[in-house]
Order: sequence, then structure tokens, then C-alpha cells
Amino acid sequence: MVEEQAQTSQAKPQAPAQVSDSQKAEKAPAAAADGASKGSDDKKLSNKEMKELKKKEKAAKRAAQKEAIGISPEQQAKNAESKIEKKKSSATNTNLKKQLDQTLIKDQGGKRIPAIFSHLETREQRNASSPSISHIVHPAILSLTLKYSTYKIVGSTPRLKNMLEVFKVVIRDYETPANTTLTRHLTGHLSHQIEYLKTGRPLSISMGNAIRWLKQEISHISIDTKEQQAKETLCEKIDDFIKEKIELSGQVIIENASKHITDGSTILTYGHSEVLEKLFKYCVIEQNKKFNLIVVDSRPLFEGKRLLTNLVNTNYNPDGEGLDSEVESIASSRSIKSQPITHENLKIHYVLINSLSSTILEDVDCVFLGAHAMLSNGRLYSRVGTGLIAMMCHARNIPVLTCCESVKFSDKVQLDSVTTNELADCDDLVQDINSKKPPQKKSFALEQFIKQCEEEKESKNKNNNKGKQQQQKKSSPEPDAQADDSTPLKDWKNISHLNILNIMYDLTPPEYIKKVVTELGALPPSAVPVILREYKNT
Amino acid sequence: MPNTVTGEIRSIIDPVVSSLKRHQIEGDKDIALAISHLLMKVISAARWTNPYDLIDLIREVGTILSSAYPRKIITGNVVRRVLALIRDEIETEHNENANTPMMSSMFSLLSTSNNENHKELHKQSKKQMSDLRSIIIQGIRDLVDEISNVNDGIETMSVDLIHDNEILLTPTPTSDTVLQFLIKARAKRKFTVLVTESFPNYIKEAQNFAKKLAEHKIETILVPDSTVYAVMSRVGKVIIGSSAVFANGGCMSNSGVSHVVECAKEHRTPVFALAGLYKLSPLYPFTRDDLIEVGNSGKALNYDDFKLVDNVELVTNALDDYISPDYIDIYITNVGGFAPSFIYRIVLDNYKTEDNTLE
Repeated sequence: MVEEQAQTSQAKPQAPAQVSDSQKAEKAPAAAADGASKGSDDKKLSNKEMKELKKKEKAAKRAAQKEAIGISPEQQAKNAESKIEKKKSSATNTNLKKQLDQTLIKDQGGKRIPAIFSHLETREQRNASSPSISHIVHPAILSLTLKYSTYKIVGSTPRLKNMLEVFKVVIRDYETPANTTLTRHLTGHLSHQIEYLKTGRPLSISMGNAIRWLKQEISHISIDTKEQQAKETLCEKIDDFIKEKIELSGQVIIENASKHITDGSTILTYGHSEVLEKLFKYCVIEQNKKFNLIVVDSRPLFEGKRLLTNLVNTNYNPDGEGLDSEVESIASSRSIKSQPITHENLKIHYVLINSLSSTILEDVDCVFLGAHAMLSNGRLYSRVGTGLIAMMCHARNIPVLTCCESVKFSDKVQLDSVTTNELADCDDLVQDINSKKPPQKKSFALEQFIKQCEEEKESKNKNNNKGKQQQQKKSSPEPDAQADDSTPLKDWKNISHLNILNIMYDLTPPEYIKKVVTELGALPPSAVPVILREYKNT
Repeated sequence: MPNTVTGEIRSIIDPVVSSLKRHQIEGDKDIALAISHLLMKVISAARWTNPYDLIDLIREVGTILSSAYPRKIITGNVVRRVLALIRDEIETEHNENANTPMMSSMFSLLSTSNNENHKELHKQSKKQMSDLRSIIIQGIRDLVDEISNVNDGIETMSVDLIHDNEILLTPTPTSDTVLQFLIKARAKRKFTVLVTESFPNYIKEAQNFAKKLAEHKIETILVPDSTVYAVMSRVGKVIIGSSAVFANGGCMSNSGVSHVVECAKEHRTPVFALAGLYKLSPLYPFTRDDLIEVGNSGKALNYDDFKLVDNVELVTNALDDYISPDYIDIYITNVGGFAPSFIYRIVLDNYKTEDNTLE
């Protein structure tokens, strides 16, 4: 909008100069004709330019009319300028969002998404909005966003916890500007932070719930409260929230769910879930159970490997006292008997999702699944692959349980995985196909910069030696063939009919799930809306 | 059984046996071709006076070959096909010589074949022997032709099975038959193909497969294996390749295929299995655990993660999957499409029940 205004304002002072004579009515069409002839001169006149021309015409007419009334062209110009200034001054924080939408980075020859998934937002689109508001974003948020987007922090619960911790920092460092109150201004300030946070990855359901809660808490603070005190109470409340909704809830869930793990049973789990990891540790360390655990894993995040690493790094003293990984060093100095829990008590069987069906499911007693969210229609929204495992276990009459804090409950309804989902970076599936490690990612800004540099280099090369390039092209097939061996799809973006789909979540129907363990008790999936209603009332 | 495999024949089969053992011959088609060429050599090199001696020899060679690569069913299939060929030849000759009236099929099913009597009858002249030899070798040549042109017969059905703008999914990117089938279908139809990655064993093949499809102007989408359930609601048909088809209608395929077909069943998506005739086997999958070959577990969990490897009880990396007949709607072979329940008839047409066990 601003830009357009500027264009018309430029047009205004010019046009009257052309038509300052008394033959205004004739000159205007003449100018139009001029424009038309120009158009025929160079046929590349784009639509936009045509529009500009028309605008000039109109401005000329209007100016002529105004002049006829008695306003001089100089005055008109002044008026226009003052209008623009007004516009500019109103571009405060409230307008930032609008600006965000305008500053889209143009898709630099990027891949379009296959038609059935074209409604999902790509990483490029998400990142497009980041640069323009980064100046009002707290550095802690910047670093958190980076950790989200590079999968350093992954999983619904850790993401929620880290976000709340960072919000505490943001609130502590926050200073209410003059002429406004904390209650009114802080919400907006936080919104910008969240807006930026979204560029890393979309908010999880639990994060959305927590943000809603926090905003409500902020609005509850009375205007008379001193800033320092208000900030302290908010931080305290966040601490309480973390303790109540995440840590204690987790504890209750673990105690409830641990009844399903008996000595000698075989448990299957998929990927990594914070609460399930704690559950397995609790069963071994606190309850002294011995059981088999089948960890199913999948590309590209290899979260099962993370669960594996965390379990292997947990030590245990069979003499009774449980020892956590944090006190590992002390434990090793005190008693020699301390050893990883995976040595004797927890027999781990690691498989990739493709090998699952063959024979492994035959002696599984129970399946534990993590959750990203429970939707109101009883469906489980979780890491992609969960639905597959739930389906297969259901078909073999293996009970499927899911552990889910009530923070993750959402009043959304969804019927299939394709309609709403998160699109991850397609390159994760192409790079390092044999690494068996989660993708090592650069930040988006860095990627953009590298791309830009490469493009500049290329254009320079083109200018410098066109002949040489042709020679290179002729000789290029050989190195290409070599590249084929390691990653055949290195240049997949240039293959026009090829697409790669990397979605993050899928939806498990309620029929497959026997039980949802929450801190409010164990329920069937059909009870999710009941919980939501009760939860809202309290 | 007398040891009929002489040193001469041993020297012919040994190189093939060792390359089978080392898994140097990959791909079902290549194995089938190698075996049939080998049998051709064996038959022309072997000295025999009685066709039943030849059968015994081939059976013994078959035993050696299938023990070289016990989980490949195709080796046995080819040997049995050749045996059936020889038996057919003997039968027609016998009928011509003896002019005995044709027995009813029911009767021959119930009667026990008493080879001993036949052996007495079949003291044949040298000329007849060499005739028989050339007929058998010609028969094997035909078999080789059939195996190498297997895709032609399958491809012709592609247009009947795929409609415009359909979304297909294939979890077997290793199958050349599937690739040719899709490429052929593209000539008349426009459609989208989802290809699963088949991590970790065939990921490179999957990427090459996707690339080839895209080069033939087929809209191709590569998806991770875990995404199958999420996208299945959009898929119109699932097309799988198979490495062996059993008489009960079940088949062997890549690992990961069985959960795809299970998903398809759950979503009521039809599943097509493509199989050349030579993949049909007269065996029944009684011990399913034995059918599945387990591969390098280092592909699932790197050995350099020694701390994990040390603490993990078991890492499994299955290479195959058994797919039960309930999950497959139609088999498409080079002799037409069949329901899984009908496969046993096709098997009976091509094999003799006497040869079901080679030993």
C-alpha cells in the first residue's frame, strides 16, 4: 500500500506540469495516447506498468479538476506528502503483522509441493516473515527459534518447557514503555515473540494452550500492580505451570502407566516421548522391574535412537538405590556395581519401522505411544508412523496405550492426516541417506546467504566465460555419474516431475487406542471432549 | 540316491553356486536366467541313457543350487520348471510309443507314479536320446525367452488397471517390473506415483527409481516409510513387486511391504502384485520365520555407535516380508491376472507335483 501511495504521489506533481495549460481536456487523452504508443514501442510493458500509466492519467485528470477549482499543484503535492507521513507514523507495532505478510521472500525457483499437499505451509514460507521483526525480538527467543528449527529441541513437552522458560526471561527483561500499562502492552510484546517463534516451526498444540493461558494470566493482573511485582508474579505462575502441568502430571501418568509394565513383559514403543522415557526409567530404577523393550525408529529424525541413547546413559545401582544420569560420576566413584540399566534389567531390541512387520510383533504384550496432541474427536495426533504402528498392533490384538498430559488436549477436530500437518524440509530426506542420524541443519538465514553467494558466483562465471561453461557441460556427465552413487537425488529440485514429501505428524483413529493415560486418570479416547470441558471449567 | 553328479558337472555348477552363496548375482531375473543357462549346460554335458537318470541328476543339481541360497525360491522354481519340461517330454514320447489310451486326469492324480516300471520301458536308442536332449534344450531356451521378456506380458495390462489422475503407491522400488509397468502405463495415462523410501536396505534404489519415473514424465513423490499410513487415504491403488509367489497365493517381497498392504486393507485400497510366471512356486509357506532373510544390522544401527551397540540386546534388519494372500487383490502375471486363490491352478499347469521336493 505504502509503495503504491508513493507512486501516485510522484505522478501527481508531474502530471499537472504537463497539463497546466488551459487545453487540459485535450492533453490528458494525448498523454494516454503517448502511453499507448510507448506500449507499442516496447512490447514488454508489463501489466504493472500499464496500471501505473492509467494511474498517471487519472491523477492528471484529477489535478486538472482541482486546479480548475483553485488548488495549485504545489499544494497538492504537499497534501500527498503529508498523507504518506501519516501512513508512515501509523506503521507502529500493530502494523508489523501487515508488513510481515508483505515481505515474503520470493520463492527462488523453489519446488512447488505436490497438489494434494499444496495447502501445507513450507519451511520457506514460514521463514519468509522472519527478518523484518527480528529487531524487536528478544535474543533468547532468537536462539530458541534456531533450536526448534534445527531439531535441537524436539518433541512437544521439551518444546513447551523451553518456551515457557524463555518467556520467563523475556518477561524479566521487559520494560513497559511510557503511556501504557504492562497488562495492555506485554501481551502484544509477547505476540511478536511468538510470531517469530513460529518461523522456526509452527506452534505445537501444547504451546498454543500454554500461550493462551499465559495471556489470560497477564490480562488478570490489575493495572495498579507495580511492574516489578507483576513480573515476579508472572514468572512464579509460569514456574507453577511447568511444575503442575508438566512435571507433576508426568509423575502421575508414570505411576499410572507403570502398572501395565510387568516383570518379563515385552513392551513396544515408537520414537521418543519425554514421558515414556521417564516411565521406562522409573520402572527399572524405582520398581526394579525387568522387561524387554522394542524401540521402533524411522527416518529422518531417528528419535528412537535418542530414546536409546538416553536409556543407555542412565545408570542404575542394583542394590536398591536408583541413580540418575546426572549423578553418574558420583555413583561410579561410590560403588562399582552401578551400571547402565540396559545391561540386565532392560533388554532393548532396536528395529526400523520397515522390519517391524516380519516377526517382531508376535510376542509384544503392550504398546506405548507418545502424543503430540489428543484431538477432540478422540484421534491421536503424533509423530508420523504412529498410526501405522497402532494399526498393526490393533490388528494383532495388542493393546495400544498412549500417555498424554492434559495440556496436549485440543478442541480441534480432524479426520485425516493430510488436511492439517507440518511440512518439514524435504532436503532432510535427500542428504546423507546412509547417516542414520537426525539431519544436521543450518539456520535458514545461513542457507539463504550461501545460496545467494553461489548464485552470484554462477552469474559471474556466466559473464566471464560462456565458452568454458559449455565445455564444462560436455565433461560434466562423468562426475554426475559418480555423484549418483552416493545420493542419486542430489539435484532433485531440477527434476521437474519429482517431489519429496516430508510430513511430521499423522493421525491415529480412536479405534486403535485402548487407553489414554493422563494425569486426570486413564480414559478411553472418546473421553477427550469430556476432559476438555471439565478442564476449561476449572 | 546314488551320487550322479560327476566331477565334470560339478565343475560346471560350482562357479554359479559360489556366486549365489556370495550373493553376487542379485535380482530375481538374473538369478533365474543364470540358473536356466546353467541347466542347459548341465543337460548338454551330462551322459545319460535313461531320461529318468537325467531327472535324478537335475534334482540333485537343484538341491545343491537351492542350498546355496536357501531363501531364494526362484532357484528351485527354475529347476522345477525344467524338470516338468523333461517329464512332459517323456510322457508324450511314452504315449506315442505305447499308444496307451489317455488316462483321465482324475485317475492320474490318484495313481502313484512307479518310476521303476517306466525305467524298464525306457531303454531307448541313442538317436532318441539325442532327440530328447535337443528338445529339452529348446524347451529351456523358450523358458529363457519367457523370463527375459516377462515384462512385456505384464505391461500390456497396465492400461486396463490405471485410470487418469490416479494416485498410486509402490513400496517396492527394487522391482524393474513395476518400473516398466508404470512407464508403459504413462504412454496412455497421466497419474501420480508415491514411492516409499525403503530405508535402510533399498533407499538408493528408491531414489533412482523415483528419478527414473520422473524422467518419464510421471508425477513422482518420494515419501518416507512412516508416512504410508498418513497418505493412504489419498491413494487409489497400491502396486507391489514380488520376489516369489507361493501356491497359496501369498508372496515374498521387500521388507516394509507387509505394513503397506495392511494399511491398504485398512483403507480398502486395492493391491496389485506383479509377478512373472517364473516367480510362482509350487511350495507352501509353512514356516514363515524361515522365509525371511535378515540383513546387516549395521544398516539399522551403526557399528561405530559402540555404546549403543554394546547395550542393545538385538538389532533386526529384515530384508524380506511375507505377505499373506488376504492382503492381495490381484496377481498380474505375464499370462494374465489372477486372484490369489487361483494361483494354485497356474502352479499345477507349470510344475509336476512329483518335483515339489527336490531331495
